[in-house]
Amino acid sequence: MGKTLKILGFSALLLFIIGSVVGLFVVRADAAMGDVQRLMYVHVPAAWLAMLAFFVVFIMSVLYLVQRNPRWDLIAASSAEVGVLFTALTLALGSLWGKPTWGVWWTWEPRLTTTAVMLMIYIGYLAVRSFADDPDKRARWSAIVGVVGFIDVPIVYLSVYWWRTLHQPPSSPRSVAPEILFALLLNLLAFTVVYVYLLGRRYRLAVNEQELERIVAHQTKQISHD
Amino acid sequence: MSSRTREIWKPVAPAETGSGRREFLRRTRAIVWKDLLIEVRTKQSFTAMAFFAALVLFIFSFAMGADVRLLQATGGGLVWIGIAFTGILSLSRTYQSEELAGGLEGLRLLPGEQRAIYVGKLLGNLALLLTLELFLFPTAAILFQLELWRVALPLAGVALLGTLGFSIIGTFYAALAVHVRARELMLPLLLFPALVPVLLGAVNATTLILTGDPDGAMSSWIRLLVAFDVIFFVVCTWIFPLVLEE
Amino acid sequence: MNSPNLAVSLRGISRRFGWFWALRDVDLDVPPGTSLLLAGPNGAGKTTLLRILAGVLAPSRGEGRLAGAGLNDNDGIRRRSALLTTRGYLYDELTALENLRFVSLMCGSDTSPATSAGILDRVGLASVADRRVGAFSSGMRKRLALGALLMRPVPVVMMDEPFASLDDHGRALVDDIVEEMLAAGQTVFLASHQIGDSLRLIGRVAFIDRGRLAFTCAADELSERRYAYFEDRE
Repeated sequence: MGKTLKILGFSALLLFIIGSVVGLFVVRADAAMGDVQRLMYVHVPAAWLAMLAFFVVFIMSVLYLVQRNPRWDLIAASSAEVGVLFTALTLALGSLWGKPTWGVWWTWEPRLTTTAVMLMIYIGYLAVRSFADDPDKRARWSAIVGVVGFIDVPIVYLSVYWWRTLHQPPSSPRSVAPEILFALLLNLLAFTVVYVYLLGRRYRLAVNEQELERIVAHQTKQISHD
Repeated sequence: MSSRTREIWKPVAPAETGSGRREFLRRTRAIVWKDLLIEVRTKQSFTAMAFFAALVLFIFSFAMGADVRLLQATGGGLVWIGIAFTGILSLSRTYQSEELAGGLEGLRLLPGEQRAIYVGKLLGNLALLLTLELFLFPTAAILFQLELWRVALPLAGVALLGTLGFSIIGTFYAALAVHVRARELMLPLLLFPALVPVLLGAVNATTLILTGDPDGAMSSWIRLLVAFDVIFFVVCTWIFPLVLEE
Repeated sequence: MNSPNLAVSLRGISRRFGWFWALRDVDLDVPPGTSLLLAGPNGAGKTTLLRILAGVLAPSRGEGRLAGAGLNDNDGIRRRSALLTTRGYLYDELTALENLRFVSLMCGSDTSPATSAGILDRVGLASVADRRVGAFSSGMRKRLALGALLMRPVPVVMMDEPFASLDDHGRALVDDIVEEMLAAGQTVFLASHQIGDSLRLIGRVAFIDRGRLAFTCAADELSERRYAYFEDRE
């Protein structure tokens, strides 16, 4: 697995560099919004990956609850951590975009608000894990939170969307020039590879952490028996 | 084996205790009866919660200032925050009688559908919160100068839907929190993000009832609340045995 | 293994808590209508085994049957067994009668007042039927828990440390009840780390130590076998 990770790591770095260069220099700046719009090349992929990460948490949680294989639980936990990272990034970038564009650090825009709620749900997931010592219980409880939390996300989005748009018309998405689309997709690919790489590394770390826990528990038991 | 022995040998199957559904209802009623009895005998907790709710609303008045128009405009939201804070208190006590008795294991030892425990506790929480709201809403009406009497019926409907959503998710997460360390922190941490749709739906619907609904947005909020309640009732009831598991 | 004539049949039952194995590879066969004493030091795994047999704990490994139901049929197991626990799980704010009523409503057993009154009488609590359990002594709580057990006529009855908190009368009560249960054809498991009092009623003994079934023997062989076991262990 180590070799795969190394290759992934290099690819991720490479793609990220290419994507950044394309986004920052190669593509023309947006006519209306200017250079700030380039943030979109990072903000949108980050948001997508946050969703993907939590979808993975959901699937792995369901798998764990059905099969009780610890591997699913470790993948879920790793994906949740990486997901929280991408979510925080999305929010930070959204904020950075908002200030020059609309003059505010935060706007209650539906997707951004849902992302913030999502962040809280998955911090809750990680909190449950940190407060449970028994690995089986930790896995089971966080899996439950992972499932229920994920089901909540679309409902949260719908509720916030209605909240923000029932009284005002939604901002219509403008048509996207092909080269912007290209840059966007390129960065999306780059971020996806970054996600998989980070997931792989975190998972390997989690496996080692669990092994360490097992060794420590055995030694403690031996000491208590003597 | 003697005939008497054969009698003992036969376990008490659901068929004998009434069909599965009757047994479910009987168990649910048993939980509600038991919790109600205990609640009645330890009255002080209910009055304490009512007092706490009034206090919260009172503090809101101070925070919002004396501007009547502002209070009237935001009153719908404030009352639901009051319900949420008070509700958390009541939720954290959902399984208290079991914990004092030695733990949830006591219930798990008794045969029968375990989901009935969830439904029973849910109904108990719902009843308790609705009763508190009978006190909370009039108090809010007084403090925030809201005209509730004319719209009491639709308001009651929204209160029911919103409180139901709160209780459905709350009773579920409260069971999870029983096992986890730092429970007082975990329950709000898990609950409040999950409650966003309920809060938005209830607050907006309440505000529309109080201040008028020119765009006909009410139906969307009601549909949201109903959808939330149905979806999470099904999900939480279904997963509940996994929360109880040892 | 699929013998329908056994009250309890276990193969390779193991249970893990976190990283710690509380039970390892327990094989056990118990014919119906007999009594078994689960003996062994504290923390050996007796309570864990009882909880698995009561259906509140699933084994991490292994399989078994209880009165015809497989261990994976969780509800089936719970309907066929009743466990007297050390904690009792009684509600302080409820009276003795109400506690029994709650149990019978939850389990679907007989809820008639006559039956509950009769049971309270049997366990010597008739005079405090309407008093709140919060005021009970630990001995009275144990008797009430015993009463709750009697409310459910199941094939397999299990008692975890039944003699704890009881005075001489209480212990005699447990003896009588176990005797009646055996006469009625029920299978009785007793777990105790103090052996002594009820040995006359015990058919066989299963000695559990450090999560494993060390040995089984007849009741009268227990002392020598136990001695021999600990000798070998050193």
